Amino acid sequence: MFITKYIKDVYKGVRSLLVGMKRTLYYFTHHKEIITQQYPDNRDTLVLPERFKGEVVMPHNENNEHRCTGCQACELACPNGTIKVIFKNELTPEGKKKKAIDKLVYHLELCTMCNLCVEACPSDAIKMAQTFEHSVFDRNELTKILNNPGSKIMEGVE
Amino acid sequence: MITGSTILFYLLAALTLTCGLLSVSTRQIFRAAIYLLFSLIGIAGIYFWLQYEFIAAVQIVVYVGGIVVLIIFSIFLTQQAGEKLPKQKPGRKIFSALAVFCGFALTMVQVYKHEFDFDKTMVSPTMSNIGQNMLSTKEGGYALPFEVISMLLLAAMIGCIVIALRSKPETK
Amino acid sequence: MWSFSNIANNLHKWLSETFNPTMTLIIEMVLAGVAVIGLFAALGLVLVIMERKVSAWMQIRLGPNRVGPKGMLQSLADTLKLLVKEGLTPNGADKLLFNLAPFVAMIVAMLLMAPIAFAKDFQLWDLNIGVLYVSAISSIMVISILMAGWASNNKYSLMGAMRSGAQIVSYELSAGLSILAVVVMTGSLQVSDIIHSQADGWWIFKGHIPMVVAFITFIIAVTAETNRAPFDLAEAESELTAGFHTEYSGMKFALFFLAEYVNVFIVCAIGATLFLGGWMPFHIGNWTQFNHVMDYIPSSIWFFGKTFFLIFVIMWFRWTFPRLRIDQLLNLEWKYLLPISMINLLIVTAMAILKWHF
Repeated sequence: MFITKYIKDVYKGVRSLLVGMKRTLYYFTHHKEIITQQYPDNRDTLVLPERFKGEVVMPHNENNEHRCTGCQACELACPNGTIKVIFKNELTPEGKKKKAIDKLVYHLELCTMCNLCVEACPSDAIKMAQTFEHSVFDRNELTKILNNPGSKIMEGVE
Repeated sequence: MITGSTILFYLLAALTLTCGLLSVSTRQIFRAAIYLLFSLIGIAGIYFWLQYEFIAAVQIVVYVGGIVVLIIFSIFLTQQAGEKLPKQKPGRKIFSALAVFCGFALTMVQVYKHEFDFDKTMVSPTMSNIGQNMLSTKEGGYALPFEVISMLLLAAMIGCIVIALRSKPETK
Repeated sequence: MWSFSNIANNLHKWLSETFNPTMTLIIEMVLAGVAVIGLFAALGLVLVIMERKVSAWMQIRLGPNRVGPKGMLQSLADTLKLLVKEGLTPNGADKLLFNLAPFVAMIVAMLLMAPIAFAKDFQLWDLNIGVLYVSAISSIMVISILMAGWASNNKYSLMGAMRSGAQIVSYELSAGLSILAVVVMTGSLQVSDIIHSQADGWWIFKGHIPMVVAFITFIIAVTAETNRAPFDLAEAESELTAGFHTEYSGMKFALFFLAEYVNVFIVCAIGATLFLGGWMPFHIGNWTQFNHVMDYIPSSIWFFGKTFFLIFVIMWFRWTFPRLRIDQLLNLEWKYLLPISMINLLIVTAMAILKWHF
């Protein structure tokens, strides 16, 4: 009947509004739920979430060796041309020519932290770091070379 | 003698008359509505000055809150902001001035002819007084006018519904 | 004992001993005006910081916490910023009306202060149609919004003004009907009469369920009338930039902003007066002992406590509910609030005639 439906509508509407108001009142009275980070003040104790992505880095071991084979998978995977792989030819001890990376250029100013390059990498050469204080005065500083100068590919990584 | 009360009266009268004059002489239609509004508020002010607060409040509710808002709405829906109305022909101006003058003269003659009865002690109407007079069917009661007005409003409402319900011509 | 009415009476006595009656009247009028303006400034500061803190805590944020102790001086800093900003007038605007509109909003808010009883025997103007006066004057409020919307010569402003007009005109009905419920019970429109009729209990308790329904209708309707979320279609940021005050900046914007908050205060004060007894302490029927203890709390604290509680409820609405669409807004008024408050008024009238209330 029309009237019962009308009353039911009113009842349901009021009830759902009250549920919402109960939730906000809970947050209003429970200040320990506050999630705001007062950033520059708590810089020393700041704990970032595990999955936070700040920039792409290439880890090196203590012998200045990295795992990048220069396969260009990351360059192909990148949706906006952030990564460029520049090659050089190296001579192996047997005298054979071997392709290796000269520079892995990374444009931080273009990067959207989508993580596709890290997922595409077959040899786990790059990963996402959690640094986030990226501001600089010259934007050229945002174009980074990920491999250290004079670094070599790690033994056994193909 | 000039007292604060008379000064107030002349101020209110000047506000009412100036705004009334401006509302017919301005060429921006929205300004005309706003001047009309201030003129009506001036009249409400005079009622307050006379200490008939009920009539003053009703004046504001009906004219300012109702009629002027309605006028402004129709301006919003039909006119463009920033446009000026075309200048009127001099013939029309003279005719309307004449009509206004005749109406004014008629009212003034009536006012001066009428013998005002100042002896009656003024009663400040209370709420229950007003309510009982509004619905009394005895002499001086307002039950009949009240009902007639509600008939008018009913007719207006039915008219609105009929216009809104007009069925669209069937398309093939 | 210290109270507002004592101060006012002593001041009046001292003034009438020192000056002649006309001078006394003029000085008192000036003092009242200054007091109202001072109250406005204080309300603006307090309500803005309150709104920001309430909104922050409801959204699990901290809110302003830098300026002054715990951020309590934030609204002072904001006011200073607004004061020094340039008040622009757009080229295509109707300059007279554009500059007049914020002042109309402010004057209306000031006029509405007149019949409000802030404490026992402390009221600017106890006129015999107090409640009707409030609903009459508050209907001028919409004019300032319509004026601002038209004079800005901006599509967003015009849309905002039209929405606001439709909204205020329709919600005035149910607000008026729920006020009438109290008027029917009291048999008077005078604010002091209405407060005195609640000496043995507030109307919301004395009037059983119909009064509670009237109270809820009143709160919803005045939330809509003051253009606050969830009924803030007039200035819906995501659709209309800022609605009717898109083109306003600096102090002219601040006046609109202040008028909005002062209006919230006024409607809450009216709600507190009508349903929660105004400055009347919390009394229960014949419990003389209890009533006596309650009387020790000053009347002004009762009034401001109730008013700020209602303001908190309205803020609570704002930060909980999403904005309504225009058709939902009009549905709510014409299909739900209006029929309910009409039937409710009938029940209240029957109760008043049969003396079913306490």
